[in-house]
Amino acid sequence: MLSVNRLSVHYGPIRALDAASIRIGRGEFVALLGPNGAGKTSLISGIAGLVRAQGRVLFEDREIGALPTEDRVRRGLTMTPEGRHVFANLTVAENLRLGAAIRRDREGVAQDIEKYLGLFPILRERNHQLAGTLSGGEQQMLAIARSMMSRPRLLMLDEPSLGLAPRIVAQMFDYISLLKEAGVTLLVVEQNVMQALKHADRAYVISSGIIRHEGKAEELRSDRRLIDMYLGN
Amino acid sequence: MSVTTQTRSAQKTLAPWMRSLVGGLVTALPVILIGIVILLFAPAYLVRVAFAAYVNLLIVLGLQIFMGNSMVANLGQGAFVGIGAYSVAILATPVAMKKLSIPDAPFGLADIVLHPALAAGAGLGITGLIAALTGLVIARLSGEAATIVTFSLMMVVHSIFIQWTDLFKGAQAFFGIPQVVGLATAIGAATLATIIARLFKDSASGLHLRASAESLLAARAFGVDVFRLRLLAWILGAVICASGGILYAFFMGTINARAFHFELVMTTLAMLILGGMRTVSGAVFGCIALALLLEAIRSVESGIAVAGFQLPPLLGLSGLAMGAIIVLGMTFRPRGIFVRLELDELLWRLFARRQPRAITEGKPI
Amino acid sequence: MDYAIQQGLNALAFGSEYALIALGLALVYSIMNLMNFAHGEIIACAGYSMYLAILIGIGSPWLVAPIAIAAGALVAVLFERIAFRPVRHAPTTTGLLTALGVSIVVQNLLTLLISPRPRAVPVFSELSRTIFIGPYAISLLQLLELAVVALAIGGLVLFLKHSTLGLAIRAATREFSTVRLMGIRANRVIATAFALSGLLAGIAAIFIIARRGSIDPTFGFQPVIKAFIACVIGGFGSLGGAVLGGMLLGFLDVAIIVLLPQEYGGLRDAIAYSIIAGLLVWRPEGLLTRRIELGDKEI
Repeated sequence: MLSVNRLSVHYGPIRALDAASIRIGRGEFVALLGPNGAGKTSLISGIAGLVRAQGRVLFEDREIGALPTEDRVRRGLTMTPEGRHVFANLTVAENLRLGAAIRRDREGVAQDIEKYLGLFPILRERNHQLAGTLSGGEQQMLAIARSMMSRPRLLMLDEPSLGLAPRIVAQMFDYISLLKEAGVTLLVVEQNVMQALKHADRAYVISSGIIRHEGKAEELRSDRRLIDMYLGN
Repeated sequence: MSVTTQTRSAQKTLAPWMRSLVGGLVTALPVILIGIVILLFAPAYLVRVAFAAYVNLLIVLGLQIFMGNSMVANLGQGAFVGIGAYSVAILATPVAMKKLSIPDAPFGLADIVLHPALAAGAGLGITGLIAALTGLVIARLSGEAATIVTFSLMMVVHSIFIQWTDLFKGAQAFFGIPQVVGLATAIGAATLATIIARLFKDSASGLHLRASAESLLAARAFGVDVFRLRLLAWILGAVICASGGILYAFFMGTINARAFHFELVMTTLAMLILGGMRTVSGAVFGCIALALLLEAIRSVESGIAVAGFQLPPLLGLSGLAMGAIIVLGMTFRPRGIFVRLELDELLWRLFARRQPRAITEGKPI
Repeated sequence: MDYAIQQGLNALAFGSEYALIALGLALVYSIMNLMNFAHGEIIACAGYSMYLAILIGIGSPWLVAPIAIAAGALVAVLFERIAFRPVRHAPTTTGLLTALGVSIVVQNLLTLLISPRPRAVPVFSELSRTIFIGPYAISLLQLLELAVVALAIGGLVLFLKHSTLGLAIRAATREFSTVRLMGIRANRVIATAFALSGLLAGIAAIFIIARRGSIDPTFGFQPVIKAFIACVIGGFGSLGGAVLGGMLLGFLDVAIIVLLPQEYGGLRDAIAYSIIAGLLVWRPEGLLTRRIELGDKEI
């Protein structure tokens, strides 16, 4: 579904990502693991087109590397940025509406809003509150629901567990697994290695801008040496 | 042993300072050469044009000292040019003249006259004082607020010039100022200002101020007193702008508040941007380039004969060119002609070729 | 009493004009951190469109007014496309200076192509009438201006609250790249913001023309300087702040005129700018400050 070939990202003279290649099959849940500053966010930002990147990005067999972010999203590839990037000065309902900005089927949109308010009941309670007043976990739920409103086929999540209490982290991964069951292909950036490997099918390990390892989630989970070397816990 | 260490460390502390001085001289070289050529060969009207260009250069250098090091946009330099010019106009104009033009001047100013040199010194002092007072406020601000306050400063000063007719003759021209300077003085002053601007840029204060412009938080974290440095640059820049105004008054003999308003600000700003505001060389060459271009356009603007046809006057052409230069400059070369390295540094790199080009041209994102 | 009401209305009319222009500036600033100094030339172009409309024989105010509004929006979008798009990601100072450059270019183009001298635009002379509401003599123009500005602001609020693009504009004030992640085209959001600011500028041009009756190349300069200050006082980028700042400035203007003895009339500007500088020193971020957050403005 997604095939990234030798993607590099530079910030001025600093090379954040060095010729990274990954592949994701339809319906897979792939985790992208690595320490802070390893280049995880650079990789998915490059795939989403938010930062300038060299290399090839094939999505559903079409080269999208030259397209602006907006067009990639319109083709069904989207990204939920890390942490608090909800539209803080808009209400929850307005956030969700903007999530569906590219859709023309009003009824479908209304149904989807109902669906995600059902999945995240707390959002229904806070429907008319400003998103900036939500807690960290609620904002994360909103960000995911908002991304889902565009009906992406591939969703990239940047650190969905960042800053959340451990109990909520587990809950968040349950939600993410629900998305996979709904047929969405997932690429999830995580520092919370164990949680991610518990739910993912496959994982890439990245450090210093280079993809170091790739493998099945359960194999990686038992590979203490690898985890110690790159993931540090 | 201790003696050698001392001399060596003395050399070390002296060397960069000397290098800046030499660098400043190299940058000022075209200023001096063009000036000498004009002094020797040019007709009188060209001397006037050149004089105006040198005054502009002083103002651009004053602007560069504050803007180029602190990266805070300043739209108020006209105030200081005007304060300098009016200071000497009021202090150095002969009493007989003042009895005619400003008989009701307050503080008995109509009855005193200072030697032009003293008046110039007083003008610089007054400007320094006003700059220090306004700087207390401006140096604390950043971004748009700072820019609007510099602009407000000019508007306030301008309306005082216009309103306080007893002292400044209001909207009318202030005449009778002794015409005591020539182009040679302006060349000297511009050379000196070029060197001062360069020494300031390369000094510890200049370096810290430039660092603070890159990252205010980081500079503060390293203990850089951004406020003090901005204040310093503001005062120094203001005094140099005022020196331009003083020379202007002493050359023209007649001044008008309108000359120190928006148009002056725009012209000098365009010069600085064109050249590159981070470097002193940028200030110098931006001024030279735009002065030449504007003069060429002005001759067209007033209507010239091309191949036997008399073209009509094209009012607005020089303004159009200036605006276009700003827009194009911002689009294609937002950092100007001299982005980061000074002329001498570029020449040094060119001849020495000691370092790979990639590094000399390395620019941040 | 009569005098007080008259001056109050004056202040409201001035204030609403500043607010209208300031809103346009704030709209653009809030989404791309651009201090659009060329906004005054949008007003001037809208004004000249009326002059040209009359020149080619369109004399009815009902036709001329919409032409001005459309011209304002069109010119604003053109400025964005030609001049501001290339410097979109540049630092604030670059954008500010580009805008200044555009402003100078357009002013001089108008000088070159039309005339440096004022041209009469007598189309709204009907409006300079005085009407009587009860015992009060009130200028029809001012009344109309208040009503139109209220309508325009109301319409803008509705647009920003209910249309997708309006929501996107509000969202983009803090999270521009996240808006793009919704599949909304950045260029459209920005063009819409410019078009809206141009619409407001066009409306402002109509009322300035109605009051002055003539136009010259520096037509938009003075009002835009005032609107800028209104924005800075209100808190740059805050739409509510722009309106508040504009109103405040209108009252300040009238108060200075009313309270300042005649012989110091020339100090109006000096006093106004001193107060403005004072306000900024007191609150550098403006009265209604947009809280500074670590958003994603770099992208």
